[in-house]
Amino acid sequence: MDFFSIGLALACVSAACGIVWRVWKWHARGKALAGSSALRPFSLAMGGLTDLFLLRRTWRLGALRWSGHMLLVLGFLPLVFLHAMDGVITRPLFAEYEPTLDPWQFLRNFFGLVSLSGLSFLLLNRVKKLRALSLLQDWALLATLGALIVSGFFLESLKIMSEGDFTRMADDYFPEAEGEELLALKTYWAAENGVRFSVILPTTPELMERGTELHEDRCAGCHSPTSSAFVSRSLPLPSAMAGQGRGVFWHLHVGLAFLGLALLPWGKFFHPVATSLNLLARGGSQSSRSGASPLPRGLGLDACTRCGQCSLHCSVAPIHRVIGNADILPMDKLSDLRRYLDGRLSPVRASLLTEGSHICTECLRCTEVCSAGIDLQELWMASKQALAKAGRAGVDGEIRKSTASEWARELSSQHLGSVGISGAGLADRAESFWGCVQCTTCTGVCPVVAVSEDPSRDLDLTPQQIMNLLRMGLKKQTLGARMVWSCTTCYKCQEHCPQGVPVADILYELRQLGAEVLRKKEGRE
Amino acid sequence: MKKYDVMVIGSGFAGMAAALFAAKRGLSVVQTGATGGIDFSTGFVDLLAVHPIAEQKVWEDPFAALAALRRDLPEHPYCRVSDGEICQALEEFTSFLGENGLCYRGREGKNTLTLTAAGTMKPTYLLPCTAWNGVEAWEAKAKTLIVDFHGLKGLSARQIAQVRSDWPELETARIHFPGMRGELYPEHMAWSMADPARREELAKTVAPLATDALYVGFPAILGMTDTAAVLRHMEELLGRRVFEIPTLPPTIAGPRLRAAFDRGLPLLGVRTCTQKLITRATIGDDGFHFTAGSGSTSIEIAASSAILASGRFFGKGLKADRQSIHESVFDLPVTQPKDRSLWHRPGFFDPRGHEVNQAGLETDNFLRPLDATGQPFHPRLYAAGAILAHQDWMRMKCGAGLAIATAYKAVNSLSA
Repeated sequence: MDFFSIGLALACVSAACGIVWRVWKWHARGKALAGSSALRPFSLAMGGLTDLFLLRRTWRLGALRWSGHMLLVLGFLPLVFLHAMDGVITRPLFAEYEPTLDPWQFLRNFFGLVSLSGLSFLLLNRVKKLRALSLLQDWALLATLGALIVSGFFLESLKIMSEGDFTRMADDYFPEAEGEELLALKTYWAAENGVRFSVILPTTPELMERGTELHEDRCAGCHSPTSSAFVSRSLPLPSAMAGQGRGVFWHLHVGLAFLGLALLPWGKFFHPVATSLNLLARGGSQSSRSGASPLPRGLGLDACTRCGQCSLHCSVAPIHRVIGNADILPMDKLSDLRRYLDGRLSPVRASLLTEGSHICTECLRCTEVCSAGIDLQELWMASKQALAKAGRAGVDGEIRKSTASEWARELSSQHLGSVGISGAGLADRAESFWGCVQCTTCTGVCPVVAVSEDPSRDLDLTPQQIMNLLRMGLKKQTLGARMVWSCTTCYKCQEHCPQGVPVADILYELRQLGAEVLRKKEGRE
Repeated sequence: MKKYDVMVIGSGFAGMAAALFAAKRGLSVVQTGATGGIDFSTGFVDLLAVHPIAEQKVWEDPFAALAALRRDLPEHPYCRVSDGEICQALEEFTSFLGENGLCYRGREGKNTLTLTAAGTMKPTYLLPCTAWNGVEAWEAKAKTLIVDFHGLKGLSARQIAQVRSDWPELETARIHFPGMRGELYPEHMAWSMADPARREELAKTVAPLATDALYVGFPAILGMTDTAAVLRHMEELLGRRVFEIPTLPPTIAGPRLRAAFDRGLPLLGVRTCTQKLITRATIGDDGFHFTAGSGSTSIEIAASSAILASGRFFGKGLKADRQSIHESVFDLPVTQPKDRSLWHRPGFFDPRGHEVNQAGLETDNFLRPLDATGQPFHPRLYAAGAILAHQDWMRMKCGAGLAIATAYKAVNSLSA
């Protein structure tokens, strides 16, 4: 580092900080002058940049994953740019660059160690919290990166101890060496830099002194002490590996780097690109904007990092635990939605996707917790519409395609089965209706009936009429009634019933039964 | 756990009145009970109109009727309360309702005949102010229009006119209720009348039909919590005096009464646990311990005294099985016919009524229920309302009055 490069670096840092400060002042002054919306693009950009560089969204969900991710990014990106791409970046920028010189040799080890510690945090996080939600690609990305870094350390370690490398270098840069000089140099390199020679070397102080001189003269210009490669140098590898191992690990290390590059556009490997862009595009927003344009929607669909937070926080996750449809959980739903949009989803899976979409209550939680900043809410609203347009309207929509009497006819030849662990649902038990005096209280308090201008036109039957049909055993007549499918389960009917008839529970049970009928129809049982 | 002075079991007329009276006397009160009889009330407060029931003798003076009743039926619960106590109880009860938006009106010492949904004239003691113009219209046999609605099952104006042949100036009209079609339900209509625009639409439909009528009667749907204002507004819009006729049960009167108590009782410091029946009751040296409700929403309550105002069968204070009738909270002895075959007379409409409708609890003079040996079951347990034996409130037309008066007596006994 000379005056020029230090001066240039300091000047650049000063200028960058100054510009950020000035832009921030534009925003702050503009806001003070003209209200909050005047310079919205800047606040959007700042929000996006904060999300991207500080991983703000990840931070909100816990320190472990944030620390791991931060360490990985801070360790791995310098390795990519300064080490892997040294031919196009580091060498042109730094005239004295040699990979075996400090600070590069030291930094490579340092960044490698930082990346590896980040990766182990992420692995711990995934094993602890996300094992059930993880797929092959999640483990594959962790494994590829981990193997890449570990193989790098091994490669460097083997290079350090390699006699062959020493001989090759000596032949290239010290061809005139006499036998005694070469012996002295070997003595020095074996003692100081950890090269393992096949012959036992004498270690007299004179020889060592001579070796030190020769090293300073011939080697030190391109070689810092290998002790600064503090990880690689301290790996306890057997000498036997030095010969063959060096070539094997070179192929392994470079091969893994190529594999990573080749896999970059696929699956989760693409998330560093897509998620970064999505974070910038979303500009720090945690809410949902309806009616997005195609490009941000497409980007959002691709930006999932499979971190699993949405599925862990999903309001209707308990339903997933009961009925087992993975497409209830946002993370799986998103990947199936991608497949559906590509036309790669089987009809049975598509009906699972539809069911999952309709079990979603649009509570916004997944959108709020998404560390990739995906506007999931908007995607769910849009996908539900798209599915409905394609004839997949969900249980509610499918039921409404036929009238109550058409359903009654269709179901007349079927055995409906019953709901509940005991084998007999509330709707099948005579006891449920023993108290019913058909007093219409349930209907009178029902807010769904209240908002209807004409209940028999809009809802087919009112709650007390449904109870009446059920107690006469006419369950099939009630299943398609739109009252059943319009119930908001507010439980007013049940709470006001003077006779303790579980009206709301029964309506909900009928819906479960309807969902089962459709599942059977779609061949999912 | 907080220990209350009084636990009121029941949320019908008797329970509501007991909670009110106890709170007014500075006692700490907790009240439980499910939706019950009060939701099926006509809104009328009967005191006593028919005695003896076998003769169907209707009394204009309820206090004269009370004197006769006390002479003929010494076991009737009205024998435990004096006329003075009854008057004070009714006064306190109706002034509370008045403060909470439900105005009551009647004639001192006289029953008033009021129009029912069936067109009959029912004698009652106090009636909602929204019905009062109907009384005056009928008494003057004034030119009156009664309106009913397509889709509302609980009231037929034409039937009322047919039955009331003594009222030739009665006209009827059936109209569409604005903004609603198909089958109509009083509660939805009443809530929708909170909107002045809805009242204007309704008045616009009715006005051309009213021609020279001085009064216009509607099924009881004129508002839920603001009935006085809705009625006044309708009178302004129509330029005529307006009244309500209760529909068939459940009428809107029940939810109105419940709403008034739901608003007023918590303000008096009453803790109300709605929609909860007692599932367990234990008695210790220091008072009562109750579990109300079941499952995850159940609550534990401790109280030094308790008033059992849990009603008869519909209120679930009494439970009947195939052999006999039981009291549902403490399993107190229930006075009842010896045998199930004696519960009912062969004729359903037998004017003498049925023995099962006299079933209930025996009490001492302080309204404390008696155990099998004829002693008070517990020194601080009282009973009020329909659960008391030896009364057939439906046929005697004394339901609300009996409930309110016995609640008053029970509260006064326990706070004395």
